[in-house]
Amino acid sequence: MTARQLVAELRLVLRVLLRQPGFWVPTVLFPAMLYAFFGAGLAGTGPAAGYAMASFAIYAVLGVGFYQFGVTVAQDRADPFIRWQRLLPGSAVAPWVARVAAGIGFSAVAMALVLLLGKVLGGVVLSDAGAWLRLVAIALMAALPATLMGTALGSLASERAAAPLANLVFLPLAYLGGLWMPPQLLPETVAAISVWTPTRAMGELAWAALDGRSLPERYLAVLAVWTAIAALITWLAQTRQSKVDFG
Amino acid sequence: MNASLDRPVEANGLGKRFGAVTAIDRLSLHLERGEALGLLGPNGAGKSTALAMLMGLRAPDTGEVRLFGHRPASAAARAMMGVTPQAAGFPEQLTPREVLAYASARRAERVPFDDVVAAFGLAPLIDRRMAGFSGGEVRRVALALAFLGRPGLVFLDEPTAGLDAEAQQAFRAIARDYVVEGGALVLTSHHWDEIEAVCDRITMIDKGRKVMDGTLADIRARMQARRISFALPEGQRPPDWLQAARHGDHWHIESDDSDACLRRMVEEGIGFSGLTIEPLALQDIIARIRPEERP
Repeated sequence: MTARQLVAELRLVLRVLLRQPGFWVPTVLFPAMLYAFFGAGLAGTGPAAGYAMASFAIYAVLGVGFYQFGVTVAQDRADPFIRWQRLLPGSAVAPWVARVAAGIGFSAVAMALVLLLGKVLGGVVLSDAGAWLRLVAIALMAALPATLMGTALGSLASERAAAPLANLVFLPLAYLGGLWMPPQLLPETVAAISVWTPTRAMGELAWAALDGRSLPERYLAVLAVWTAIAALITWLAQTRQSKVDFG
Repeated sequence: MNASLDRPVEANGLGKRFGAVTAIDRLSLHLERGEALGLLGPNGAGKSTALAMLMGLRAPDTGEVRLFGHRPASAAARAMMGVTPQAAGFPEQLTPREVLAYASARRAERVPFDDVVAAFGLAPLIDRRMAGFSGGEVRRVALALAFLGRPGLVFLDEPTAGLDAEAQQAFRAIARDYVVEGGALVLTSHHWDEIEAVCDRITMIDKGRKVMDGTLADIRARMQARRISFALPEGQRPPDWLQAARHGDHWHIESDDSDACLRRMVEEGIGFSGLTIEPLALQDIIARIRPEERP
């Protein structure tokens, strides 16, 4: 994979995406809007305000990585342009890397808007500048498992089913994970499920980063297992798909 | 190195089944440098499957393909071939310049694309987004991409579908130049005149099997048939032995020995007028050969 090809891949992906404002404006604005309506107001001021902002930062990253990526992976399977790209000289991994990088870029913008709103609108005061940086770092790290899970879903679902299916998985996961309301407020049975979800794990890591606590091992493990499952599903689905495509 | 290992296309005993359906059965193909092969056959004959196996988009169940000695879809093979995206396959947010620059950047060395832009008349379109392109305009961009950087081997699936006559002529000239300069070309087409203009050899596939294979020169030589066309005075019918068929106000005969046929027509004093004798078009030759070759 040459740097020249990677630059060309990134330019291609970004051009196509940026020239569809109908795609990226809502994608980037949606988490900030939800945060403004429900997150910032409900959390009030004090430490809870910071937690709520962190939750929606994770939600923003997850939305782009999981939802958008999941849907496009399913759509790309039938795309003749993508098939043509596979026959071009050069690295076959580079287009993939470029798309993940673009996804993380959009995630970062969506997250930045949430953080900005938190500071301006939510009046979030964090203990130190380091807390902002730690939060950003954890949220961006979460983009990778989020993207992998989106890819797993997109590899399994058909083109038409991908968007509704991604909603069906993503929205409950955000709720179950306590990203929309503090996990302490979840009903008991929901709370029991919550601790096993990848979204809760991401949230717990973000909240710990905010406080400057060491990252809880239990949730690192939960997230690692989910990531491994997503990677396995992706691998199985891609192998099966290449039998259909290439076989 | 063994010469056959170095061939642009060397495919032996290809077989492909989809469930109970045999799409391709024991198909062997080869192509030399400086040669254009036309892949023909009715719809559903297996042309697309065969092409997909050659390009490396599908793996054969049996047999194997080598492109310049490399496995299809390998990096080495991809570096030496050019392919068109299927029609309607471009993100409509992009301009031809951007797609060409992208394809150029994927080659080991950046290649200029002024030549293909000029060859396919893309200059007026080059900076327009493809959203509003007609089918023919999209097709011209696709062809430019296939020939970009003059790869050693080019695959074209129905290259001129949707092109106007002028663009079709331009394509034929470019394809011939490319082959004369040593390029290898595999082409599927419904246009017989295009196959005749571009290809040196044809392979005809039906129901997944090769039913005919040969150089165009051979096929024409094997078939000395001519079409004799003439008019008769009002109310007069040609004798039965001529087996003439009526086309408008003319009668047509396809004859393997047009000289003998004509001599007899003169001897019998048939009052023909407006006589023409032409070699059969490739399409008609093949239609005549195929029934003879069927087991």
